[in-house]
Amino acid sequence: MEFIPGPTITVDILGAALMLFVIASIIYFIRLVKGPSVPDMVLAIDVLSYDLVVFIILFSMMCNSPLLAVGALPLMLWAFLLDMYVSKYLMKRELGD
Amino acid sequence: MVWYSVLEATAYYLGLIMIFVGGVLDIIAAIGMHRFKNFYMRLHAATIGTIGGTFYPLIGAGLVALTMHWIGVMKYYVAGISFTAAFFLLITAPVGSHALAQGAHKSRTVLPEPAIVDRLLEDEEKGGVEK
Repeated sequence: MEFIPGPTITVDILGAALMLFVIASIIYFIRLVKGPSVPDMVLAIDVLSYDLVVFIILFSMMCNSPLLAVGALPLMLWAFLLDMYVSKYLMKRELGD
Repeated sequence: MVWYSVLEATAYYLGLIMIFVGGVLDIIAAIGMHRFKNFYMRLHAATIGTIGGTFYPLIGAGLVALTMHWIGVMKYYVAGISFTAAFFLLITAPVGSHALAQGAHKSRTVLPEPAIVDRLLEDEEKGGVEK
């Protein structure tokens, strides 16, 4: 008994879901360009990189190539590192160690 | 093995629902980043984009990847990366947002403009709170 559809229908559904994230990324990118201050830009970069993580994982599921999904985890930790460095720079005016 | 098929179908459709709900929440958060006036208000929209727009789709992608038989054993690889990324996102994203807000307020880069009173700023100027 099989209740789930096959590969082709799943790939189509995942491609339709991918479009939502691409549209959201475009709107975030407008905020990144327009951002009136530095924390606004950093916030937009954070959410853009989180969107890119979801994009990478869904794309690797669409392409049937799981090795594409390796880059998702360092990208997410890189966004956290960017937050920490920018806040430290804003407070102390130095980058620290 | 009917129960296994039912379990698999539940994971598949629940994962797809979570991915689509996450995509819609992500678009809502992206619109909110433009409609809010202030940096401290845009933090709320960024929270929706983080937890609703990234945590839910990662869990959903992991659940869908567990049912993909056509890529063989490597389905556990994709599912493991998805669940690990969701776990680390749940830990690191609120910490990063709080650190960014603290840095923006203490360095006076962005001040909450339409505000009636800002007690933290008054205390910092009075010297009660260490800047």
